[in-house]
Amino acid sequence: MKKFRIISLVFLIAFVLMQFIRPSRNQSSDQGSIKKTVSIPSAVSAILKNACYDCHSNNTRYPWYSNIQPIGIFMAKHIREGKQELNFDEFNTYSSKRQRNKLKRMKEQIEKDEMPLPSYTWMHSNAKLTIDQKQLINKWIDSTLHR
Amino acid sequence: MKKLIIAALIFTTIAYTACNSSNTHSHEGQTPDTTATISTPSTDHAVTEVKPQFTNVDPQVASALKLVIDQYLHIKNGLAGDNANDAANGGKSMAEALKKLDKNALTPEQQKLYVENEDDLKEHAEHIGKNEGNIEHQREHFAQMSEDIYSLVKAFGGGQPLYQDHCPMYDNNKGALWLSEVKEIKNPYFGGKMSNCGSLNEIIK
Repeated sequence: MKKFRIISLVFLIAFVLMQFIRPSRNQSSDQGSIKKTVSIPSAVSAILKNACYDCHSNNTRYPWYSNIQPIGIFMAKHIREGKQELNFDEFNTYSSKRQRNKLKRMKEQIEKDEMPLPSYTWMHSNAKLTIDQKQLINKWIDSTLHR
Repeated sequence: MKKLIIAALIFTTIAYTACNSSNTHSHEGQTPDTTATISTPSTDHAVTEVKPQFTNVDPQVASALKLVIDQYLHIKNGLAGDNANDAANGGKSMAEALKKLDKNALTPEQQKLYVENEDDLKEHAEHIGKNEGNIEHQREHFAQMSEDIYSLVKAFGGGQPLYQDHCPMYDNNKGALWLSEVKEIKNPYFGGKMSNCGSLNEIIK
């Protein structure tokens, strides 16, 4: 029993110390926003902001538990990787070929239910895309690609 | 106090696993929905011969580009042989080879065309490089990569004669092209499942 108490105490101390790690926040310019190249209906824009922008833009809306470590650390890692794949706030800096391919793969990911990630919709249940929302996005992507 | 410690412990564990587990995206392998093998015999008279657009390509650029194309063929042969590891190695090497091309040696017109394809190509190379566990996802990127390489080869030449082939069945019959160094059809999109399915359209030299 004594052993258990020592181990628990070690974990508790580690947990407390972890709280001093503060990953930097993803909040910066939207200079290269997708809106500058592609016209987006406001309904689609609202869906993207709600379901995608937290990991795929330069501006994340942080929930309160992001202040608890190690949650915040993992979140920062996800956001970093998400932005590398697709960043709606830097979309305008991509070559037009890459923009087109990004849009095509966005559609693929949504159709296959790969995105938004389950770990994201687990805490953001309103980010789960409904059939109507998916259709709306697909229609927008198709019309953009066939401009 | 003990309860609090346990609570803290449980919480940390849950948080850790929850955030970590969802890291991998799985991509369902897609299988062709028909078993019929459409093997189009390549007939010589239908093949058009294409000459590269630019005749004034800097030799250093040409040889740097040749290295990129070699890696493309490496990926292509990996996929045709259903070898995802080979394809991944080709992807990684291509990402490296792309860094070595000196854009300053390009004329403004060449630069425009090259830059248009460069960042897209780089992304496909990286994705193929890190998806050795998911050959179908590698093939999705390979389809788009082939478009980029085709544009570049048509403009700058391939450093060797290259054949442009077409697979009509890939991506739910939307079709996809690929380039090959050999005349014989070896389909990289379906691999061993329908190895000789495809048609030869062009030769670029």
